[in-house]
Amino acid sequence: MSEAVRHLMPYIVIFNFALVALVLITLAFVTTRRKPAEVPDTIQNVAEYVLEWFVRQAREMRPDGVTVIAPFLASLFLFILFSNLLSVMSFPIINIPPTSYYSGTLTLALIAMVGITFISARFKGVSGAIKHLFWPNPLQIISQIGDVLSLSLRLFGNIGGEFMVVLLVAKTAPYGIPLIIHALGLIPAFIQPTVFTLLTANFLAEAIHIEEKRPRKEIRQEVTPVELPSSEPVRKGKLT
Amino acid sequence: MQAIFLVFIPTLTIVPVAIAAAFAMRKISHAAIEGMTRQPEIAPQLFTAMLVAMALVEALVIYCLVIALMVAAKI
Repeated sequence: MSEAVRHLMPYIVIFNFALVALVLITLAFVTTRRKPAEVPDTIQNVAEYVLEWFVRQAREMRPDGVTVIAPFLASLFLFILFSNLLSVMSFPIINIPPTSYYSGTLTLALIAMVGITFISARFKGVSGAIKHLFWPNPLQIISQIGDVLSLSLRLFGNIGGEFMVVLLVAKTAPYGIPLIIHALGLIPAFIQPTVFTLLTANFLAEAIHIEEKRPRKEIRQEVTPVELPSSEPVRKGKLT
Repeated sequence: MQAIFLVFIPTLTIVPVAIAAAFAMRKISHAAIEGMTRQPEIAPQLFTAMLVAMALVEALVIYCLVIALMVAAKI
């Protein structure tokens, strides 16, 4: 990376993020403008598959909040995925993935944690959301900061490390070999958004699920007396 | 002389952690693949759980990578 590019890096990151947002908005228009067909074609199939995954995850978490949770997770996932995939482009400035710059990933992690607080405020009220940040111990806030750090550092390390390896290899062996490294780099480019979204979903479930502990215990008490007598005599019979 | 020793510090930071993480990942993937072959019907859930567990292990390596990069930038 030349000195001028390093000097302009923050602006490049902002430009690339805006570019990704533009691409995503265009894709959203393309996929939602026409009527959903009875027999889906390729674009509709891909869109439905992505949407279904997030809707299923949101339904597991909170059946009444699918319309809030699924778009949040899906937009995070698609945004990070498309930012990572910028590294495959062959234009000089655009091929710097904005997630290989620490400020970019820190922003994404902060957006995720602030979004979690807002969504939990919607379900549990503002006091409940703030209580989650400081309960049962005021030091809980440090755990929240740790979550932000781990989310951002993981994404930065994977994508930025990959980008650095590509740059170093391209310096020593400019022909042929960078292609292999790029192809290998596609694996973290797809796995890291998944991991980011899954961990965000876990934190979100932690933030909005606290009140529902009591009904679960009742269900367990109903189930256990039915299960035990059927399983125990069989085991004893097998042993003797 | 001191600079020569400083060159080794990033390497020595990341290599033991990478070895340890490789062992941890071996154990995770071993357990996950064994579970998938025994019960293919829950393979998707096992795969997501494996991804999360691997990400948690990987985070430790990446902390060390960041520290190594910080040391390397000082040299």
